[in-house]
Amino acid sequence: MTRLKTLLTSAALFAALGVTGAMAEVTVLGWPGGPEEAGLRKAADAYNTTASDADKVKLIFFNRDGFFDKLAADLAAGSTDFDVNLLATYALGRYAPFMDPITLPEASKSTFPEKVLATMQYDGKQYGIPTDLSLHFMYYRTDLIEKLLSDADWKAKYGEISEKYLGKKLEPKDPDAWAWEDWMATALFFTKSINSDSPTRYGTVLQMKNLLFNMMVWQSTARAQGGDWLNDKGEVIVDSPAYRAALDIYKKLYDEGTSPKDSTTYEFAEANAAFGAGQAATMLQWNAAFGDLDNKEKTPAVAGKIGTVAPPAGPEGRFTHIHGLGLGINKASQHKEGAVKFLNWLGTPDAMEIYSKAGGSPALSDAVVAKVSAERPDLVKLGQYAGSYGFVMHGGTAAKALQVYELQAKEFTAYWSGGKSLDDALAATKTGMAELLKP
Amino acid sequence: MPRTSRFEGHLLIAPLTAFLIALLGFPLVLDVVYSVSRVGFENIRAPELIGFSNYAKAVADPEFWAAAWFSLRFGLIVAVIQMVAGLGLAVFLAPLFAKRPWLIALLMLPMMVAPALVGLMYRLILHEFVGAVPYYLLEWYGDFPAFLGRDWAFTTLVTIETLQWTPFALLILHSSYAAISPDIREAASLDGARGRRLFLNIDLPLMMPALGITFFIRFIDSFRVFDNLYTLVGPGAGGSTTSMSIYIYQAFFKVGDIGLAVAASMLLLVASFVVLWAINRFTARKAPL
Repeated sequence: MTRLKTLLTSAALFAALGVTGAMAEVTVLGWPGGPEEAGLRKAADAYNTTASDADKVKLIFFNRDGFFDKLAADLAAGSTDFDVNLLATYALGRYAPFMDPITLPEASKSTFPEKVLATMQYDGKQYGIPTDLSLHFMYYRTDLIEKLLSDADWKAKYGEISEKYLGKKLEPKDPDAWAWEDWMATALFFTKSINSDSPTRYGTVLQMKNLLFNMMVWQSTARAQGGDWLNDKGEVIVDSPAYRAALDIYKKLYDEGTSPKDSTTYEFAEANAAFGAGQAATMLQWNAAFGDLDNKEKTPAVAGKIGTVAPPAGPEGRFTHIHGLGLGINKASQHKEGAVKFLNWLGTPDAMEIYSKAGGSPALSDAVVAKVSAERPDLVKLGQYAGSYGFVMHGGTAAKALQVYELQAKEFTAYWSGGKSLDDALAATKTGMAELLKP
Repeated sequence: MPRTSRFEGHLLIAPLTAFLIALLGFPLVLDVVYSVSRVGFENIRAPELIGFSNYAKAVADPEFWAAAWFSLRFGLIVAVIQMVAGLGLAVFLAPLFAKRPWLIALLMLPMMVAPALVGLMYRLILHEFVGAVPYYLLEWYGDFPAFLGRDWAFTTLVTIETLQWTPFALLILHSSYAAISPDIREAASLDGARGRRLFLNIDLPLMMPALGITFFIRFIDSFRVFDNLYTLVGPGAGGSTTSMSIYIYQAFFKVGDIGLAVAASMLLLVASFVVLWAINRFTARKAPL
C-alpha cells in the first residue's frame, strides 16, 4: 500500500512538472538577485496573464558570480536551455556571434531615448531591449557637507588641508559644482588621520579591487581629464597625460589614507558597507546602491542623509560611464517567435512601468518616466545624467572590451598598490589593448 | 590463469574501464586538441590547429611563472606548517583523545565547510566595518593591518588555509601515532629512552611514512588552491595572488584564450604527474616500516 501511494504521489508530481513545463514555452535568463530580478518577475507575471499558453515565459537565474562567463560558455555551446538572455553593453561584442539581432518595435522608440537604445547596439544592429541603465553617482553625506559649507572653523581647516596636500588653497563648494580636486580636498578633510576633528574615519571609499567593474567606476575620472581608449585612427591612447592624471587622483587619495587600507580588495558591497557604516563622507558608486543606502532598516547610520550628484568635472567636462543591461534572443533558441513577442511587449511603456515600479532601473523617455516619477524619483535623475553626462569609451563595445577592462584592472591596481610604476603599468596596458582591439 | 577466468576478469573490469575512458579519456583527448589549437568561445566547436604555440606562449609568459611560483610557495609553506602543527597536536593531545575520542570529531569541523564559503566568511570577518578582527584590533591597539592588502594577503591566505586544513593532518597523524605499539615504547623506555629522545628516535621514524603522505596530500591540495582564494581576494592587486588555478581560470573565462588556458593546464598535469610519481615511489619504499 505504501509503495502504491509512493508511486501515485510520484506520478502526480511528474504530471504537475510536465504541466508547468508545457505552459512555459519561452525561457528567459535574467540578471539574478537584485532589483532587476524583482522587476523582471513582476513584468513576466503581468505578461503571462494575457499571453497564450504557448507564449508564456518562464524565468531562470544563475548566480551573479561569474554570470557572464557561464553565459558565454552556454551560448558558445549552443545551449537551448533559454530563449531570451541577459545582455550588457560591455559584453555585446562577445555575445553578438551567438545572438539574433532584433527589429525594434515601434513602441520601444517612444519608450526609450535614442541614446539608451544605442546601449544595446553592436556593429549597427540592435541586439536587445534595454531594461536597466547603470551609471555612477557621487554619493555624499548631506549633514557633513552642509556643516562644511557653513562652519567657519571647518572652512579654514579645509583651506589649510587642501593647501598642504594639494598645493593650493581651496574653498568648500556644493558637491554639484565639484571639480575632481574639490572632491579630493573634501576626502582629505574628512579623513581622521589627517583631520582629527573629522566625524568620519575616511573621506571616501575607493573600489580598487582587481575587477573589471571597478575600472568602469574609475574611468569617469579619466574621461573628465580628456582620456579615451582609442583616437580617431583607432590607435590606443591610454598612455596620455589624462590617464596619468586620473590614475594619480586615486593613487594620491589611497596613499594619503583617505580610503580604507583594504580598498585594493573593495568592490560594490565592501564600499557600500563602509559608506553605510557612516565612516566615509563621500563615495563614487553605481546608481543601484542608492536604494539600500537610503533604507533606514538596512543602513540606519546614513539613510536620509545621502545626497547624489553626477561625478565631478574635469578639464574636459563632466562625465559618467553608462552601460545598459537588456534582454536579447539566443541564436540557438527553439522558441524564437514567442521570444520576439515577449521582447516586443517588454519594450512598451506599460511593461516598463510595471518593471520600474517593481525595482528595475530603466532609463525612460520623459513621457514614460513621468508616470513612475512619484514612486521612483531616482529614475528621473538617471535619465537626465545619462543624457547629459553619459559616455562609452571608443572601443567600449568591441568584442574584447571585457578583456580590456580585465587588463586595465590588473595593471592599474598594480600601480595603485605599489606593485608597478605608472610608466610600466601604462606601457603594459597599451601593448595589451593594441593586441585585444586590433581589427 | 585459465582462459575462462581471464575472460571473466576482462568482462568484469570492462564497465569500469569504459566509465574511465568516457570520463577521463575523452576530456583528456579534447584538452590535447584544444591545447594545440587557436580556440576561443567564438570557435569552440571548430578549433584551428596551430601546433605548440600555446605551450610556447604559456612558457614565455612571466605571469604563468609568477602563478606557478605563487602556487609552489603557497603549497610548500602551507603543507609544512600543517604537517608540523598536525604532528604537534597529535602528540600533545594524544592522552586527551584517548580519554575523549569525540573531541576529534569536534576538531574536524573546519574541514566540513566548503572552501568557497570559508573565503566569503573571512572576507566578512576581516572587513574593517563589519568584521570582528579589525574591530577589536582597533579597540585594543588603535590600528590593524590591511589583512587582504598586497603586503598581507599571502600571510592571511596561509593562515586561513592552515586553520581550515590542519585538522586533516591531525587526523592522519593521530591515527599513525595511535598505531605505534606500546610494546615498542615500553622496550625503549627499558633501555632508558625518555621524553624527547623517545619521540625523536622511536615515534618520529615510525611516523615518517604518514608524515610524508600528509605533506604530499596537503601540498597537492594547497598547490591547486582556487575557491577560497578566489572568493577572498581574487587574483589580487596587479595579479599578486594569482595561483595556477586562477591563471588558468582567467585565461579561459576572462581572456577567452582557451588554447592558452588548456595548454597551461596540460603543463600543470605533467607537473602533477611527476609529483604523484614521486609520492608513489616514496610511499612504496617506506611501506614495509
